[in-house]
Amino acid sequence: MFAKVKRERRVINVTEIQEARGEPGALETLKGMGVTLKHLINRARGDDPTIYYPEERRPYSGRFRGAHILTTREDGSPKCVACYLCATACPADCIYIEAAESPDPMIEKYPAVFNIDLLRCVYCGYCVDACPEEAIIMSREYDIAAYTREETVYNKEKLMRRPQIAQSGLGYRPIKIDEYRKG
Amino acid sequence: MPKVTINGKEVEVEPGTTIMLAAQKLGINIPHYCWHPDLSIAGNCRMCLVHVEKMPKLVTACSTPVADGMVVTTDSPQVKEGVRGVLELMLVNHPIDCPVCDQAGECGLQDYYMTYGLHDSHVSLEEKVRKRKVIDLGPMVVLDTERCILCSRCIRFQEEVSGARELQFFGRGDHVEIGTFQDRPLTDPYSGNVVDICPVGALTSKDFRFKMRVWFLKSNDSICPGCSTGCNLRVDHRNGIIYRLIPRRNVDVNASWLCDEGRMSFKSLGRGKRLVKTMVRQNGKGLVEVNRKDAYLEVVRNLENISNQRGPNSIAAIASAMATNETLYLFKRFMQEVVGSSLIDFRTDDSYKLVREREDKVLRRLDKHPNSQGALDLGLVSEELGGLAGAIEAAKAGKIRALVMLFIPQMVREESAQVYQAISELLTLVEFSAVLTTHEIEAFAGADVLLPVAAWSEEDGTYTNYDRRVQLLNRAILPPGDARAGWEVFATLARISGKDLGFEHAGDVFARLAAETPGYNGLTHAAVGKLGVKLQQKAIGGS
Repeated sequence: MFAKVKRERRVINVTEIQEARGEPGALETLKGMGVTLKHLINRARGDDPTIYYPEERRPYSGRFRGAHILTTREDGSPKCVACYLCATACPADCIYIEAAESPDPMIEKYPAVFNIDLLRCVYCGYCVDACPEEAIIMSREYDIAAYTREETVYNKEKLMRRPQIAQSGLGYRPIKIDEYRKG
Repeated sequence: MPKVTINGKEVEVEPGTTIMLAAQKLGINIPHYCWHPDLSIAGNCRMCLVHVEKMPKLVTACSTPVADGMVVTTDSPQVKEGVRGVLELMLVNHPIDCPVCDQAGECGLQDYYMTYGLHDSHVSLEEKVRKRKVIDLGPMVVLDTERCILCSRCIRFQEEVSGARELQFFGRGDHVEIGTFQDRPLTDPYSGNVVDICPVGALTSKDFRFKMRVWFLKSNDSICPGCSTGCNLRVDHRNGIIYRLIPRRNVDVNASWLCDEGRMSFKSLGRGKRLVKTMVRQNGKGLVEVNRKDAYLEVVRNLENISNQRGPNSIAAIASAMATNETLYLFKRFMQEVVGSSLIDFRTDDSYKLVREREDKVLRRLDKHPNSQGALDLGLVSEELGGLAGAIEAAKAGKIRALVMLFIPQMVREESAQVYQAISELLTLVEFSAVLTTHEIEAFAGADVLLPVAAWSEEDGTYTNYDRRVQLLNRAILPPGDARAGWEVFATLARISGKDLGFEHAGDVFARLAAETPGYNGLTHAAVGKLGVKLQQKAIGGS
């Protein structure tokens, strides 16, 4: 059926179009220079479209899914109880946890090791959705480039405490957390 | 025999059968916590409520015997509402600490909540009765009284099966909890079973605690390598690491139980260093790592030399009752057909004589080798050689010049020092020795070639237990490094010697073994199946 349909060939004649538009004259050149001049003046007036990354950054929404954060209790220990639900939900298999007996008998279980391979991560946010303790949330931090692959595997310490988080702000996280913060 | 109708399906059962069992015969599962097929009926959890026509109230399926003409419904709205109510009551004081609970994923409360519950709790977390958590109950068990639903399975197990009677109920009303007197640790050698039968997370395994979430584990059916009883079990593993062994129900062997030593036997795979490389003795350099093929060639070349010089009967073989029937069978064929020697014996000590002797009244037997009966059936006994002790005498007299030895250390308890001493003595007495083993053991320092073989759980095969029941082991994990299944090593050695025995799979080997060995008449791995096959013919040899 499809084979029988003959498509008519569209032939585009370039010279015809050029003739219809007329030769590019001096006026066209001046128009182009006008655009340049406009931006030059705007720039001089301080209206600059360029962002001076990394000194300057674009603002991102609070739902941005950047590098992860492990939230902490008041005493600085991780909220995480090493239930492995984030590792179970993870489609990229980038979360590695080793559970151990917590010194606090009311907590029982805590992660002795908690690593996220941020190069392997697909930033889907499923870990945040799966977490029953609101222990893993995301930041708005997106520049995780490093010189070695090892540096891009964030360990527990790095996930809990790193100065960049304060600058970039929190990213994708359960709404409850903000409610708690408000009191 | 009474006929009952359950959910519209009719079934005829023995008089006295409970509704629970009759339903299971039809493939209908009735929810339950306290009922266990190998324990007495307690009827205290009330989860198995079913509707029986003409009865005013719902009745418990586990404790109600069937009567002729009985009409039972297990899936009506009334029954579901009843079960939901029972479950809600059970969850009233449950701490809902699933994230830190090892039972999560195989928990009766989770499963039935998803099927029957799905209710919102009427009791907030703050109002719940708090009980004691993380109580150390000896080497196998951790107790959390808060998660307990008081089904009494563990108490009944200790009363009826192991006889230890250490666990008991304490307190009254809301505050009842299970425990031992003054929290004394369990000394029961079968204490690990209370973890398996606990339908919730109250009793959890100390060894498995926090190691892995159960939903990540893969399972393979196997047989315990701990003694000649041959308990059926399941190997739970992930990424080549075994995490735990769980008993598998086989009414004719171990029911639903497993002893603690057997349960922990997989740990002995990591006891000492595994032999992962083939090693060959080179002049002045001692044992050197070589590739597998060179090592095999070295064995074949040396055996040929000695056979040519001294005759084939100057070559002896010592096998192991830790090996599978498949390995032992090909070892025998290799010695008889390729080497041409009849000197093959598996007796390293006298433990095979105890193959049927009980250690206690439950499961354990005194012979700590799982396949002594198989070795006896295969005729791996040579009166001419006379076991390991006889081999030493023969070597001293100069009758034996070369030795092929298969030695796998026993998995439960330590192999006796005398055995190791005898091995190291024998290895120094012979001109050439090839040792197939799983671990780097000091006694093998005098060997000329060391060939690594697969240990338990790393190969397919069969064991024959004390009762002459042939049971199937499935490979769970891969053997490390150069190690190959024992039968594979002998098949390769035979092929290199120019006498291909023509075996590709453990299943092929077993089929041939069964065709040739009296009593195994025509069995195959498929026919052995999950629960094994008891051989009919009278045992050969042994006590």
